[in-house]
Amino acid sequence: MTDSERKGAVLPAAKEPGDAVLDFLRLAITKKLADAVILPMKVPSGDSYAWILMNDISLLDDAVPIAATMPVQGAKALRSLTRKGPGNLTVIAVMRPCEIRAAIELSKLGQVHPDNLILATYDCPGAVQLQKYVDDPAGSEKRFAEMLQKGKPDNSAKPVCHICEDFSLFDSDLHFGYLGLPDKEMLVIAGSDKGLELLEELGLASAEDLSVWEKGIDQLKADRIKARKSAFKETEAQLRGFDGLLSVFANCIGCHNCQSACPICYCRLCYFDSETAEQNPDALITAASKRGGISLPVDRIMFHTGRMVHMSLSCVSCGQCSDACPVSIPVAGAFSYVADQTQRTFEYTAGRNDGDPLPLRQFRKSELPGVHELVKDADAEVSSHE
Amino acid sequence: MKKEFTPRITSFLCKWCSYTGADLAGTARLQYPTSIIPIQVMCSSRVDPVFLIKAFLNGSDGVLIGGCHPGDCHYETGNYHARRRFAIVRSVFESLGLESERLKLSWISASEGPKFARVANEYTEEIMKLGENPTRKSIFL
Ligand code: SF4
Ligand code: SF4
Ligand code: SF4
Ligand code: FES
Repeated sequence: MTDSERKGAVLPAAKEPGDAVLDFLRLAITKKLADAVILPMKVPSGDSYAWILMNDISLLDDAVPIAATMPVQGAKALRSLTRKGPGNLTVIAVMRPCEIRAAIELSKLGQVHPDNLILATYDCPGAVQLQKYVDDPAGSEKRFAEMLQKGKPDNSAKPVCHICEDFSLFDSDLHFGYLGLPDKEMLVIAGSDKGLELLEELGLASAEDLSVWEKGIDQLKADRIKARKSAFKETEAQLRGFDGLLSVFANCIGCHNCQSACPICYCRLCYFDSETAEQNPDALITAASKRGGISLPVDRIMFHTGRMVHMSLSCVSCGQCSDACPVSIPVAGAFSYVADQTQRTFEYTAGRNDGDPLPLRQFRKSELPGVHELVKDADAEVSSHE
Repeated sequence: MKKEFTPRITSFLCKWCSYTGADLAGTARLQYPTSIIPIQVMCSSRVDPVFLIKAFLNGSDGVLIGGCHPGDCHYETGNYHARRRFAIVRSVFESLGLESERLKLSWISASEGPKFARVANEYTEEIMKLGENPTRKSIFL
């Protein structure tokens, strides 16, 4: 759906953006347009959130659609729901844009079946880093309320939030927009035919003009694009060369938390945890004697570079890997930066729902000049086969 | 010191084309350097990108993938897929500022013994210019 075709509806005024979302969901369930919803809810101890699949409308009172932090990447929740198929019930999931982008990547990988899901996003100001949230839930809630007001991340937010360009409507079915609008105003915008159908059936007053909201988003986006450029430059300099790579990952304890928290790394058994990745003792002793010595375990840099090669084409820059790292390595900074380059190589943007298959699931006969020598020979060869 | 440097180039060669090409170079007694360490794979698409990384981190000064010419892959499209995978590794190397020249993809058919010898010679020269892979001496990996 292009910008000019966008259609939206106005939601009745509510105290907070989250309340307006809840009202919308209550209406959808009452009108039997959705069977259930997936939303974050505070865990009983009160110091974190969990995803709850709920169909009891009274539970909505305790849900927090726009939560301050993101403990489990939402795409993982959607995968656990639809891994075996779409199911028969319609479920609306309200998640951050990076969570929905990850779910879209997972659907291309056959891990999420979105047919009966309605994926909804909202203008995301950023998310508080998990560790910071757990250390001080009350203070973090306060800071998040301010972020929500301004539409901007503060320094308790994940570093990737500061450089996120796709914090608003991207490719979801529905989007809740409030940034740039006067206080208490909230729009719901259709991002797909599925979303539009739902809006029409709900019979909400349609929004005449989306331009105020769009302008507000564009302004905030400009800041983030600038921040992204300069952050990437910094990361590039830090990672530069083999020594740079070693120094960025110097403190890595090899726990692989970054991989288990990543929504894209869905492999039941990661290659780097498998038997195949184990080393032969004699080979290691030879390697050590050639160098004088060798650090153990040996697969640290291989794990990170291998993961970049395996999954960076689908990395949605959500920052879960950094949040999960016990030794504060800027994993997400490195992965976002590398992903930006690998995705550029194939003119691919992770999280798009435009029918474009994953780059590794397709090829063109004549492409990627410069990756192999004698391009001309190869091209001549190709045309003779076409 | 420089003179003693003999590069090691781990070479993944597909059974149907490049490996046979290498064989032909051998039986035709064409000269090519001992730096090439051939590993036979069933198809260039058998080379998981992680193989390239593993070879690089283990200290190979160069890593070569040899496959059939486009259109000639024994499994029809394996080499097109191999090219995409290779491009990702190249792109990761470039973004990390690692020397992507240490990775090479080449199409060599079963009858191209002379081409194999030429690629082996030229690539070895290129690698000699680049010098030793820094991972060769690194204690930390
Ligand atoms: S690598 Fe990190 S930033 Fe990228 S998708 Fe995985 S968890 Fe998110
Ligand atoms: S690093 Fe590779 S093998 Fe491991 S979980 Fe991620 S994609 Fe799978
Ligand atoms: S989470 Fe951090 S310490 Fe653990 S493997 Fe990843 S980078 Fe290393
Ligand atoms: S069989 Fe040679 S490239 Fe596939």
